[in-house]
Amino acid sequence: MKNFGVVMVALFAVPAVHAQSSPAIMTPAQQRISWAQAAILENPDRSQPYNDLAMAYARRARETADTSWYDPAEKALQESLQISPENLEAQRTEAAVLIGRKEFANALDISKMLNAKMPDDVTTYGLVVDADLALGNYKDAETAAQWMLDLRPGNIPGLLRGARLRQLFGDPEGAMQFYSESYQQVPQTQTEDLAWILTQMANLDMSTGNVEGADKLLQSALGKFPNYYLALESEARVRMAQQKNEDAVNLLRARNQNFPTLESKYALAKAFDVAGQAQEADDAFADFEQAARMRIDFPENANLELIQCYLGRAKNPAEALRIAQIEIARRRDVETIDSYAWALSMNGQHRKAQIEIAAALALGVRDANFFYHAGAIAARLNDKTSAERYLNESLQLNSSSEFAGLVREELSKLRPASAAMHQVE
Amino acid sequence: MLRQLRIWIPVFCLVALATPVLAQKSPTDQMIQSLELHVKMYPQDFAGYDGLGAAYLQKGRETGDSDYYERAKVALNKSLDLRSSDPDAAEAMTNMAVACMSEHRFADALDWAQKALALGSGDPSPWAIAGDALADMGDYSEAAEAYAKLQSSFVSKEEQLGLSNERDSRMSSLRMVAGDAQGAIQLMRNAIRVGTEANMPAENIAWGEYQLGEELFQIGDYSAARQAYADSLEQYPSYYRALGGLAKVSAAQGKLDDAVSFYKKALAVVPFPEYAAALGDVYEKLGQPREAKKQYDLVEFIGYLNKVNLQIHNRDLALFYADHNVKLDESLLLARKELEVRRDIYTWDVLAWSLFKNGKFPEAADAISHALQHGTVDAQLFFHAGMIHARLGEGELARKFLNRALDVSPQFHVLNAAVAQATLASIEKNSGTLEANQPRVAQQDHRERNLQ
Repeated sequence: MKNFGVVMVALFAVPAVHAQSSPAIMTPAQQRISWAQAAILENPDRSQPYNDLAMAYARRARETADTSWYDPAEKALQESLQISPENLEAQRTEAAVLIGRKEFANALDISKMLNAKMPDDVTTYGLVVDADLALGNYKDAETAAQWMLDLRPGNIPGLLRGARLRQLFGDPEGAMQFYSESYQQVPQTQTEDLAWILTQMANLDMSTGNVEGADKLLQSALGKFPNYYLALESEARVRMAQQKNEDAVNLLRARNQNFPTLESKYALAKAFDVAGQAQEADDAFADFEQAARMRIDFPENANLELIQCYLGRAKNPAEALRIAQIEIARRRDVETIDSYAWALSMNGQHRKAQIEIAAALALGVRDANFFYHAGAIAARLNDKTSAERYLNESLQLNSSSEFAGLVREELSKLRPASAAMHQVE
Repeated sequence: MLRQLRIWIPVFCLVALATPVLAQKSPTDQMIQSLELHVKMYPQDFAGYDGLGAAYLQKGRETGDSDYYERAKVALNKSLDLRSSDPDAAEAMTNMAVACMSEHRFADALDWAQKALALGSGDPSPWAIAGDALADMGDYSEAAEAYAKLQSSFVSKEEQLGLSNERDSRMSSLRMVAGDAQGAIQLMRNAIRVGTEANMPAENIAWGEYQLGEELFQIGDYSAARQAYADSLEQYPSYYRALGGLAKVSAAQGKLDDAVSFYKKALAVVPFPEYAAALGDVYEKLGQPREAKKQYDLVEFIGYLNKVNLQIHNRDLALFYADHNVKLDESLLLARKELEVRRDIYTWDVLAWSLFKNGKFPEAADAISHALQHGTVDAQLFFHAGMIHARLGEGELARKFLNRALDVSPQFHVLNAAVAQATLASIEKNSGTLEANQPRVAQQDHRERNLQ
């Protein structure tokens, strides 16, 4: 879910100006690119078609995971600003591209500036929400999302951001309600939007242990937008939860045939590992580590995966903590806080780790992994009551999470004799 | 049954702009004048252009003057030039869809409605246009799915009632297509009730009443139809559709002079070719052929007045030529052309009738089976089917269809009801065939089922 801010950016923001029919084989983003290009040919002196083109390229980045689409997007924006230097839509699209590139702080600055100039613009509020979510400014994100829904009740961009916030605040049912409402409103032609929403709903189901529900939703998503990389990644997680590890490997291999991200490379490496394909796992982890280390200091990085890697099989907790400190200085979203807390604990700094994980959990988020870490950290501080509580909560929330085995192990350490009575299956 | 679009003049226009005091102008005219002034003063206001576009569309609806649709598109394009890529542009796109519907560009209308929806504004009203376009293209089940989405839990109670009006009135039309007239009428009555509660514009309520009248006429309940048309006229005085309805029901009830009077009033407001044709038929019935011919000449004149008129009146002209046995080649050409863009049951029906009149009986039978496939109860469809099967030597089937037509609505057409009766008598006289010694065409089960 940590890519939520990135993938939200292009949602529902790129209609074409002209009514033109498009071949059925084109994806929604490809259609928009085609329409925008036609509009530019027709009216080369207007800035709006260039803005539309830029947004369409950004949308294509979301469809494919190919971030190189942001380059032509920025070129189109430059053209737009040359024609109309102060045009706000170009600046707004620039903020969207920055979010796509994970330059959240810059994106937030621009979005806030634009919000001051266009205080009734729902899309600009959306960008503020996305940037704030990514940086961990949840209160501000909530305020901005509420503005979106107040300005335009029921608007889809507002509902989707609201869904994410509801999930973070510990209301998965409320989040699912917003996703469903959004899904109902999207026309069937917007295949990628539909697939995206279905994938978010599936991820939500997975987080609460509803693996079968997640599976069905992902099948629907793949039906809407075949080979959708986000759905394939989530489907692989479903298969691993179902102990169908070979299937997970195959899904991730298929996913990584087109524009693999560092995150998806890491996921494949883990899948190889769980499937017992040791050599493939070694090669994949090495490949991932080499590529991810080159991006440590860049906004677009896989630092959270690298931290996991160094805390896990790479067995280099000091390096994990170093990277965690780099990342936590950049953003304080719950995933980063959790990674930082775990890195601290694995380096023996349990007290500091407890403060950090408490900050993450204070939001209300209900995440089996966070509860596992909170429980393990409490155990190391000899706070058995809290440890047991968190670990049981983790299992209650999701007894088939990838950490469920570790959770049970921790519980058994707490009360070796009576652990079996307390474990929640 | 003609489908009509309803649009709401954006509320912001009603409350946000100072309307100059103008004597003797309709509310729509006043709105247009205000907004034209507004966009002159604020040329960067996308919402102003959108509102102006909506007002032109409303004027086009009220007058039938297609020139207003052109003006609407100009204004809406200006709005979209200024704002096109966020939820704020949804209204302009929806209005663009309405403009396309008015010009019978159904695929384009669907396109625009879907673009509006893709912006995710939270406004479900584009679903209405999407559904209308789908229904006109013959995709009734998809249309029903679209109409079902005309709801939102995020709007005020009044807006929810408005959505309910939009949904129920459209679902009513689909129920009529499906042959469930009672269900349709109930839905339409509910639509009118909630629309009134929602304080919708008078013309929108009047349209609902008129549609109710059409449904009641279709099932032969002429008294109730007359009441509905009268209610429509009371709601919106000089409403041309209500006047046309009153003319039609007057003719059905044998009040031909009243029919003439009402048709003339309707034509004075909006010169629809369908009214000119109907008035001509009433004059025929009254034994005034010269008056009839004047009206028939007017039909073509209106139909060919401009490019847009020709597009939107293709079907009316095709039916007119077929009904009056003139320019039958042209009738068939127009009917086929219409079917390229519009595949609803009434286009299939007109095609069937044109084919029949051009002597292409098996093709006519195929076309009428498309028209009847959903179980619609409509005397015109049954009449056409009866005539086609009679010509094919299928006396039993012909008899059933013609009897059904007359049972459903004994005076379904001022001239054709008598033709149906005469044809029935002839079939019975000739022992089951319209013309003796016509080769019998093999019976096909689906045509029998269409009678159910």
